[in-house]
Amino acid sequence: MNRKKAIRILLEIIRYVIIVFGAFWMILPFFWLFSASLMTPEELISDVPKWLPEKPQWNNYVQVLKRIPLLMYYKNSFIVAGSVTLLVLATSSMAGFAFAKLRFFGRKVLFSFVLSTMMFPVFIFLIPVYYLMKLFGWLDNYLSLIVPFAVSGYGIFLMRQFILTIPDELLDCARLDGAKELKIYTTIILPLIKPALATLAILTFIGQWNSFLWPLIVTSTAQRLMTLPVGISRLSLAFSTVETQHLILTALVYQVIPMVVVFLYLQRYYIRGFVLSGFGNL
Amino acid sequence: MAGLSETKGPVRRKKLKTNTGAGYAFLAPALLFYSIFFVYPVVFSLIVSTKRWNMLVPLSRARSVGFSHYSYLLSDQVFLGVLRNTLIYALATVSLTIVIALILAVLINNAKLSVLWRFIYFAPVVTPQVAIGTIWGYLYRPNNGLFNSILRLFGMKPVYWLTDPNVALFSIIITAVWAGIGGSMLIITAGLKNIPQDYYDAAKIDGAGPFRQFFYITVPLLSPTLLFLTATGFIGAWQVFDLPFTMGRNAPARSVMTVSWYVYETAFQSLRMGRASAGAFLLFCVIFGFTLLILWLFRRGGIKGYE
Repeated sequence: MNRKKAIRILLEIIRYVIIVFGAFWMILPFFWLFSASLMTPEELISDVPKWLPEKPQWNNYVQVLKRIPLLMYYKNSFIVAGSVTLLVLATSSMAGFAFAKLRFFGRKVLFSFVLSTMMFPVFIFLIPVYYLMKLFGWLDNYLSLIVPFAVSGYGIFLMRQFILTIPDELLDCARLDGAKELKIYTTIILPLIKPALATLAILTFIGQWNSFLWPLIVTSTAQRLMTLPVGISRLSLAFSTVETQHLILTALVYQVIPMVVVFLYLQRYYIRGFVLSGFGNL
Repeated sequence: MAGLSETKGPVRRKKLKTNTGAGYAFLAPALLFYSIFFVYPVVFSLIVSTKRWNMLVPLSRARSVGFSHYSYLLSDQVFLGVLRNTLIYALATVSLTIVIALILAVLINNAKLSVLWRFIYFAPVVTPQVAIGTIWGYLYRPNNGLFNSILRLFGMKPVYWLTDPNVALFSIIITAVWAGIGGSMLIITAGLKNIPQDYYDAAKIDGAGPFRQFFYITVPLLSPTLLFLTATGFIGAWQVFDLPFTMGRNAPARSVMTVSWYVYETAFQSLRMGRASAGAFLLFCVIFGFTLLILWLFRRGGIKGYE
C-alpha cells in the first residue's frame, strides 16, 4: 500500500514538472521579447546574449511611435477584422438557420457543397480574387480586404450544428401564432445562439486580425490600407540601420500585448462557446 | 468532409414543412458569395493554369499552352522541393501538435491553477504569426541568439537554426508546434469535459492505473475530437505561409519555401499567373487525396464523426 502511494506522489510530481517545464518554454519568447524591447542596440547584438537590459530604455517605446504609423495599422486592422466579423456572424447564422430548420429543395447538396469549400486552400483563390478586386476597382479601399471573407464555411457549419439543438416545437409554436420565418430567426434563433455567436465572433476576429497573406498582396499597391501583420513584416525595412534595429522588438511588443490582454478577458467566452457548441462530441 | 449526420438523441425530429422560398432567402447572401468568390475563381484559375498570362493584359489575349505548366512543374526541382517542404511541414506540425496538446491537456485537466496554465499555453494562438516568426528569428540567431547561448551553457556546438538548409524547416516546425499547442489543447479540453467521470471511477475500481485509463478511455472517447483536429489541422498546415515567409527569408536556396509562398512569389513577384495556378492545383490534388485517406483511415478505425 505504501509503495502504491509513493508511486502516486511521484506521478503527481512528474505531472507538475512537465506542466511547468512546458509553461517555461511558452513564456520564454514573450519574456525575452519584452526584455529585449528595452535594450540598447549594443546589448541586443552583444556576443554574450543578455537576458535583461543593463538599464531599461523606456525611450524605445517613444521612438517607435515617432517612426512608424502604428495607429494607422491598428485602425485598419480594427476596421477590417470588425467588419468581417459582423458579416460572418450575419451570413453564417442565416445560412445555418436555413440548413438546420428549413426544408427546401437541394438542402443536402448545398450543405455538402458548403462543407467541401472548406477543403479548398487559399492559394487557389489568390490570383482570381485579386483579378476580381482589380475589375471591381476595390484595390484602393477596404472592400478588397473585407468582402472576400464575408462568408465562412466553417461559420455556417458551426451555426448549423448549434441551431440543430434548438427544439422544433419551439419554432412550430411560433409558426402556429402566424410568425414568419424572418421573425423566428430574429426573435427565437438569434437570442438562443448568443454563446455560439460569441465563439464564432472571437474566432473570426482573431483570424482576421492576424491574417497576413491576402493583406500583403492587396496593400502592396495601397500602403494606407496596411494592417498590423503587414506592418510587422515591414519593420525590418522601417528600422534597417544599426542604430534603429533594436526598435523592431519594441514595435512587436505594441502588437503582441493588446491581443493577449484582450484574450485574458475573453477566454471564458471562448472556452464556454466551444463546450456549448458541442465540439467535445462532434 | 461529406454531409454530417443529423443529431440523434432526445430531440425528436418532426417532418418540417417544405418552405423553399424562405430557405433560399436565408441562403441568398451565402450563395451569391460562393458563386462570385468560390465557383468563379476556381473555374477562372483552372483556365489560367493552361495559359501564359501576366494579368496585365485581358485573359482573352493570353496564349494557351495546354497542360505544359503542369508537366513543367512535375519535373521542376524547385517546385518538387516546395511540395516536399509543404508535405513535411504539414505531417510533422499536425502530428506533433496534436500529440503534445493531448498529453498536456490531460495533465492540466483538473490540475491546480489549470486556468493559468491554459492561458499561458494559449497566448501564442492570439499572437500574429508574423510577430511570432520575427521573435523566434531573433531567438534562433546563430551567434547571439538565446537558444545557441543555452546550448553553449551545456557545452554543445551552436546550431545554425535558420541558415542551415537541413535544419531550417525543422526550426520552423518547432515554432509552429509551439504556436499551435494552445489552440488544440483548448478543443481537447472541451472534449475531455464531455467524458463522464463514471468511466474513470469504474476503471479505478477495476484497478486500472492512469496510463491504462488514458489509452483505454480518454483516447478512444476523444477520437471524434482528434479527427476534427487532424482534418482542420491539415487544412491549415497545407496553406502555411506566415511563418516560413517571415523566418525563412535568409534560408538558402528555397529550403523552406512552401506552396503558398511559391504561388505568392510566382504570381505576384514574377507575374507568371499560369504557372502559379497550375502549382496551386497540383497541391490541391495532393490535399484532396490526403483528406480522403485520413477520413478512410478513421472510418476503418470505427470513427464516424463526419458521416
